[in-house]
Amino acid sequence: MTDVLAEPIPIVIHQAPVHRRERWRPSRAGRFVRMAVLAVLAGFVVASPHLIGAIRINVLSTAATSVIVALSLNILIGYTGQVSLGHSAFVGMGAFTAGFVISTLGMPWEAALVAAVGVGAAQALAIGLVALRVRGLYLALVTLVYAVFAERVLFNIEAITGGGGGIEATRPGWATGDVTYAYLCILGVAAVWIFDWRLTSSKAGRAIEALRDSERVAASWGINVTAFKLLAFVLSGAIAGLGGALFASVEQLIAPLDFAFLGSVTFVMMAIFGGVGSRPGVVLGALVFSFLAYGLERLAEAFPDQPINASATPLVAALLVLGVLLYFPGGLAQLLRPVFRWLSFGPWKSLPSQLVGEEA
Amino acid sequence: MGWRRGIATGLAALVFVVLLVSDIPLGRVVVDGTLNGSVIALVALGIAVVYKATGVLNFAQGELGTLPAFVVLALMLNFDLDRTVDPAEVSGLAMVGYLLVAVAIGIVLGVAINALVIRRLVDASPVISLVATAAVFFLMVGFEAVVFLPRVRTFPRFIDGAPCLESQGGECVRQLTIFGSLVLWHAIVVVAVLAIAVVLLTLLFRTPVGVALLAASQEPFAASLSGVSPRAMSMLAWGIAGGLGGVAGVLGAGVFQQLFPAMVTRDLLVLAFTAAVLGGINSMPGAVVGSILLGMVSSLTNEAALTFDVTGWVPNPPMAAAFFVLLIVMVVRPRGLLGKEA
Repeated sequence: MTDVLAEPIPIVIHQAPVHRRERWRPSRAGRFVRMAVLAVLAGFVVASPHLIGAIRINVLSTAATSVIVALSLNILIGYTGQVSLGHSAFVGMGAFTAGFVISTLGMPWEAALVAAVGVGAAQALAIGLVALRVRGLYLALVTLVYAVFAERVLFNIEAITGGGGGIEATRPGWATGDVTYAYLCILGVAAVWIFDWRLTSSKAGRAIEALRDSERVAASWGINVTAFKLLAFVLSGAIAGLGGALFASVEQLIAPLDFAFLGSVTFVMMAIFGGVGSRPGVVLGALVFSFLAYGLERLAEAFPDQPINASATPLVAALLVLGVLLYFPGGLAQLLRPVFRWLSFGPWKSLPSQLVGEEA
Repeated sequence: MGWRRGIATGLAALVFVVLLVSDIPLGRVVVDGTLNGSVIALVALGIAVVYKATGVLNFAQGELGTLPAFVVLALMLNFDLDRTVDPAEVSGLAMVGYLLVAVAIGIVLGVAINALVIRRLVDASPVISLVATAAVFFLMVGFEAVVFLPRVRTFPRFIDGAPCLESQGGECVRQLTIFGSLVLWHAIVVVAVLAIAVVLLTLLFRTPVGVALLAASQEPFAASLSGVSPRAMSMLAWGIAGGLGGVAGVLGAGVFQQLFPAMVTRDLLVLAFTAAVLGGINSMPGAVVGSILLGMVSSLTNEAALTFDVTGWVPNPPMAAAFFVLLIVMVVRPRGLLGKEA
């Protein structure tokens, strides 16, 4: 008996076989089709300055700057759940900084760009320090009043902004042509897109996203809630400043009237209509809004006997946003989610087992 | 907390010293400020009622005034929009009727916005509700721009001119002034209407319905257990806001004697938001107090800008003052003068 007990009892641990779910991959043909569609889209974007025609080219450049501003709002709304109604002022500050640096100081365009981004970040920091300490919608209120203050006070100080007549902001020497400048604006959109993409995959980006879901949970993980909200707001202000500097040189002349405070509301509606939190959605939303007046004009040309004209733009824009808010709270991004997923090499329909491809 | 009190005391001392050494007529500042603040108060009250009852920041509150004012203008012109209204042909009595029409339209609009938009977004975040009211604002402005065309129109005052204290042979030689500030009939009407609105609201909050509204705003779940319907209360709050908006539209358009799409939003809404934060965004008495204080700050800055001759390099001093008042409130006392701690 003792011998038996001395025998070591074999311990068998029943280990479940390691079964890692395969990442869903498209077939070779599927991959080819997706790459072809992406190539066509990219080609369309690259060719767009030539497709739109010489007369309307500045509509495209302006649309690109609006896309940049909408993406900057996406960082704030989409990732922190706060909203700014002052982005018209941020854009205006960027634009007037660029105009001041170029026209009054006589410095090159590149310096103006850097200065505009710096001023955008600095004003966001100042306002954020005051408004973000308090929970609730106070950031929206303070930025709204700031937008009106900027429109009626700051932008009318003649020594800096040239008053009602405006100030010139000439283009850089290497991009004086309309088509070249349109490419520069599209390049700006690409740069902001890549920055946003890298930000969301960084540690700070994940901390900022955690805030949106629940401030308390984020705080319990040791995330400094106020500091990261402030960071998101400052980044948003800096990118809006960049958008402003690019906007300033589209028509090469800016006046206070270009930055009426109601423009802020349009920027927010662009982001919400596109679907905050989704880069492709926000870009599409901004494009739809930017080309709305243009599209209505073309419709009026096509149907001269119908009562359509560009003065209905706010009406149509408001109906689009209300429709989205009431029926697709996720905006265009929610509506087009299968498309975005398919284009990012995922399946068309979401599979319960797959965890990839949600983010485009 | 000490440093905040320090900032507040320091600023108060600074203003006091500036007032002592300069010859700014204080009486005039107080009178002008009250008169200007009363128009802001009508808009701010609407914002506070909706915010208290439903937690929604209403960006469309201004258009709840502009749109009824436009309809009233169309009535005055017998729907012939190419004409311009002649202030002489609209009597004071007719204006009372028009004011009631504007209130009715405002109530209908407020209840409709609540039923069609706000009620469907009960579970949405406050940011989404704010954006929804902004979209409603754009819808109303778009409607005004399409139907009434985007141009500036004349709008009549309640009663033109100022009360006459002494007349000689049909000519007025002495008009009503308080502390050297001319008091127009229209301003008297605005203050009187504001007083009526405050009294009516105070009475309302003493009735069971009003108490139910306050209960639902403080503790919606407990209130619904006591048989208070949050939906009905939300509708009531939006109806009140719409009625106040209609009053603010007709009286505000009269103050500026003009009307154009988005007018109340451009000229009054932002000041009203500032005033509401100054008084405490969830307090209705605070909205009135904040508005009148903001009105006084505006006229004080106007007088000071004239006295110290800075109008050349500071455009629009009252707007600058409003922004800095908001910043100071946010730093020193974010809940506002009469607001409760959130």
